[in-house]
Amino acid sequence: MLHSPLPRAVAGLVGLLALAALSGACSPPPPPEAPRPIRLPMGYIPNVQYAPFYVALDKGYFLEEGIDLEFDYAFETDGVALVGAGELPFSLASGEQVLLARAQGLPVTYVYAWWQDYPVAVAAPVESGITTPADLVGKRIGIPVLGGASFIGYQALMRAAGVSPEAADLEVIGFNQVEALLAGQTDAVVVYANNEPIQLEHLGMPVNVVRVADYVTLSSNGLISNEMTLDSDPELVRGMLRALARGVEDVVDDPEAAYEICKRYIEGLEDADQAVQRQVLDASIEFWRSERAGWSDPQAWENMHDVLLQTGLLKAPVALEEAYSNDFLP
Amino acid sequence: MPPPALSAPGSGRLGSGWASIVSNSLDNPATPSIQRRRPRRLAWLAPASLAVGLLAWEALSRLAGLPSFILPPPSAVGRRFLELASDGSLWRHTLVTLLEILAGLAVGVTVAFVLGYLVAKSRSLERVLEPYIVASQSIPVVAIAPLLIIWFGAGTLSKVMISALIVFFPVLVNTVVGVRSVPADLHDLMRSLRATRWQIFAKLDVPASLPVLFGGLKIGATLAVIGAVVGEFVAADQGLGFLITLNRGLYDTAGVFVAVFLLIGLAMLMYSAVSYVERRTLRWRNGLEA
Repeated sequence: MLHSPLPRAVAGLVGLLALAALSGACSPPPPPEAPRPIRLPMGYIPNVQYAPFYVALDKGYFLEEGIDLEFDYAFETDGVALVGAGELPFSLASGEQVLLARAQGLPVTYVYAWWQDYPVAVAAPVESGITTPADLVGKRIGIPVLGGASFIGYQALMRAAGVSPEAADLEVIGFNQVEALLAGQTDAVVVYANNEPIQLEHLGMPVNVVRVADYVTLSSNGLISNEMTLDSDPELVRGMLRALARGVEDVVDDPEAAYEICKRYIEGLEDADQAVQRQVLDASIEFWRSERAGWSDPQAWENMHDVLLQTGLLKAPVALEEAYSNDFLP
Repeated sequence: MPPPALSAPGSGRLGSGWASIVSNSLDNPATPSIQRRRPRRLAWLAPASLAVGLLAWEALSRLAGLPSFILPPPSAVGRRFLELASDGSLWRHTLVTLLEILAGLAVGVTVAFVLGYLVAKSRSLERVLEPYIVASQSIPVVAIAPLLIIWFGAGTLSKVMISALIVFFPVLVNTVVGVRSVPADLHDLMRSLRATRWQIFAKLDVPASLPVLFGGLKIGATLAVIGAVVGEFVAADQGLGFLITLNRGLYDTAGVFVAVFLLIGLAMLMYSAVSYVERRTLRWRNGLEA
């Protein structure tokens, strides 16, 4: 049996200190707050156009902000309605949706201008000679629906160029613009400049693209929230925007790496036409470049407001200062 | 010795005696009977139920303080209805959809009836067509609607085709079941009376299978409404489906409800019209059953 040379009291004190030190070393740190699950309505199917979100999620930017992001590929209008009803804190939406929703009493606010330019355009076969809005007079133009970004973009384009939108024959064709133009059902189609023209080119029909953004600046696709969230949880909003801004920056800086990340989030992208998809991403990136990430241009909102009033989609003016905000930007 | 040829009141060779024999044979509990007229004293129940439902809806949306874009009260829907009706646009959209429904129903019923009759009469044809017929039912119309728009254009024809496609299967199945439900001994009887094929078709198969056919027609009439609207959702610039899309895009939920209620009204109208024709056409069965 061993005998301790230390007096019993000292030994007890040392033992207590050792126990305290040991317990201090072993006790777990206070658990970090669990990330908040957030479902984000995207407005479209999984696509390389959502690369900033995929990249930010993949690199853990949202988690760093305490956000456990989940994508919901719901319709744009459904996302806006859910945010307006306070069911969800965020959604992706185009500028006109915000104004139309606010006109119906939905308290939604646009907080991050992800797309700096309006992506809608009119595409026509090169041999048609259509290069300006004036060339569209008397032509049959296929349009997906008589509403939404395509319709508003067309209206804005023609009005900005001083051409009556009624001077062309609009034909509703659903989201079949590529097929309709290839089949010769229409002379031109209203498209997204970063998507269908590339597909048409690869299908053997090079097209001229008349871009809305070349004629008028309009508030485009971005992130929206609601007044309740902005008031009650501004840090959540700021965190969301910081993560998104980092995602956009990474994609712009390294599209190749971003494309590889997209493959993990888009089912079937590996099997898709890589050249087309890569070009769609590159073309989209051109709309995301900005001097200040997410900044909303007041003139773009004024213009959008004017177009909606002129087309009768807005019956009365909407308070623009409540429709968008640059206050939460990183 | 051949059976005696009966004098025919019309162009056929059969006399009136066949009808009672056939009808008595068909008058069995398995075949659907015609709905009897509801007692007049219960007529108030349906409108009263509707009124209670509307009041409950109004109360719910007011008491819960729900914003109009989530659940507009019936009063708001009524106001929107008057606005849309007063400028005439509502009736224009309704008429477009109604014409698509009627055309789709006509095409779908015609094809289904002809094909159904042939299938009912020929087991080999049934074997040949079965995969196609079942496939026609299992096609998710929403998925192929954009293709139909490309094939048949964005105009009325594509909506008619989508509507006809939806109508086709229930009418076809009911036609086959109806024609095959005609007792074999009646066919024997007709043949023993030296009835021609046309006479067997017109005097036995059609009247005998009509109760079942009308069942399919009722289902088809309501499905035709869905078909037309699916087409209008995909690509249209007029019609009630378009009106729903338009109002959804404008977050005008009351406007969506107006169009939805009109579609319900159209479906009920179609169903009632078929029921009326059924009652008129099958009045002879009422007499027999009495």
